Amino acid sequence: MRAVYGIVVREFVRFLRQRGRALSSVARPFVWLIFAGAGFAAVFAGRSEIDYRVYMAPGLLGMVVMFGSLLAALSTVIDRDAGVLRMMLVAPIRRGTVALGKTLGATLVGTAQAVVVAAILLPAVGLTPTPAGALLALLAVVLLGLALGAIGVVLAAGMRSIENFAGVMNFVVFPMLFLSGALYPVRHLGPVLHILAHVNPLAYGVDLLKHALLTQWTDAGYGGELPIALDCAALALFALAGLAAAGPLLAREGGVARAAFRERR
Amino acid sequence: MTAAAIDARGLGKDFGPVTALDRLDLEVHEAEFFGFLGPNGAGKTTTVHLLATLLTPSRGSASVAGHDVRLDGLAVRRSIGLVFQETTLDRDLTVEENLRFAARLWNLPDRDAGPRIDALLGQFGLDARRHDQVRTLSGGMRRAADIARGILHQPRVLFLDEPTAGLDPRARRSLWELIRTLRAASGLTVFLTTHYVEEAEPCDRVAVMDRGRLAALGTPAELKRAAGVASLEEVFLARTGHELAESATG
Repeated sequence: MRAVYGIVVREFVRFLRQRGRALSSVARPFVWLIFAGAGFAAVFAGRSEIDYRVYMAPGLLGMVVMFGSLLAALSTVIDRDAGVLRMMLVAPIRRGTVALGKTLGATLVGTAQAVVVAAILLPAVGLTPTPAGALLALLAVVLLGLALGAIGVVLAAGMRSIENFAGVMNFVVFPMLFLSGALYPVRHLGPVLHILAHVNPLAYGVDLLKHALLTQWTDAGYGGELPIALDCAALALFALAGLAAAGPLLAREGGVARAAFRERR
Repeated sequence: MTAAAIDARGLGKDFGPVTALDRLDLEVHEAEFFGFLGPNGAGKTTTVHLLATLLTPSRGSASVAGHDVRLDGLAVRRSIGLVFQETTLDRDLTVEENLRFAARLWNLPDRDAGPRIDALLGQFGLDARRHDQVRTLSGGMRRAADIARGILHQPRVLFLDEPTAGLDPRARRSLWELIRTLRAASGLTVFLTTHYVEEAEPCDRVAVMDRGRLAALGTPAELKRAAGVASLEEVFLARTGHELAESATG
């Protein structure tokens, strides 16, 4: 559909045009690799099965998708403030179409970032994926992008303004990251956190990325732990549930009515 | 029989306990230049958003270009252009990219959109700026680009919600020139909301709104005659006086 295509193109052009955002999104995982990597590698010292930086690589790719897709989808809030959302809402398309376009745009942005980062990161830590592994990793990145993009649109539709952004970072992004297995295996966590990890889309995405990239360390306990099909199904479910919820949420009168109301003050 | 471009019957909207629009009965004819005049908070924007299907009516019904706003929002939105008070353009995109984006949202094939965009940019004096990001444009140019966006899909009814707000006199004048040319060329129905009385003077008919109610309706000449005054401004003051008195004390 043409409108979806238009929204996706706009999303990607915006991303490329915001040089700082594009560069920092590619640089961010390397900052983590160098600083967090050094710290955790010291903690993990003495475990000779795997170099910590190799262990971290799938998690970092998951993190790139999380920041890339989630933030792109959250930009719906900025679209509302800037008025662009109104252009989409007054167009002869359904609200679900807007949600789908934003989600796919976010997926594209996250995937593009992950591909660029992977091209630098994997050789840097000495990981050479098999062709099948690379394909599975790409699938993981796309599914994770869809899931987080859809969730991002839902969060954005429920947010009053960009000021709630810090709340999202504190209560969504960081817990999601630390309960994802990106930095350490979640199986060592207590039962409550372990359960939380199972409602975390990033955990399934990172698990799938470990299946794709850490196959040779599976026996040592560092590869993917859940069945691949389960990871894929969970991510697809997050994406579909998010999309189903995002359309009606965007259609709520909230944003437009409030803006209309401002005139009365 | 010519169908009414806009037909509202008992249309109303509440926001919680506040009645933004009471019960509006209004008919706007095909190709009419209709002025919707009233002070801030009179319910002008609410009416526009109801007619554009961005809000759901609390009561009553309305049809725009023959389509019911409750039943067929997509068809209504296909038939209308809406230029909001504040710009809806993406500041990070160029003028042309914005129009391409809008064309896709309105399901225009790229090969049809291209020539139309070229024509509009020429007509609106934006040709030289087409590859500049919108953030670099002056307020008047942005507004012109907004209007180009609003008529790109050749709507039958164009809503202009306080289009001159924040524009300097020169930009205002060229905007009115633009609207005059558009109407002459296409027989477009234009629904203009404004709180500047002088902007309503060239309208075919004017509705004066006050606190969510229709206070007066007629041609500018009729309104002046009925109120026994010489200018539309006096009509405005007479019809909406208490509101102004309140805001003066408040």
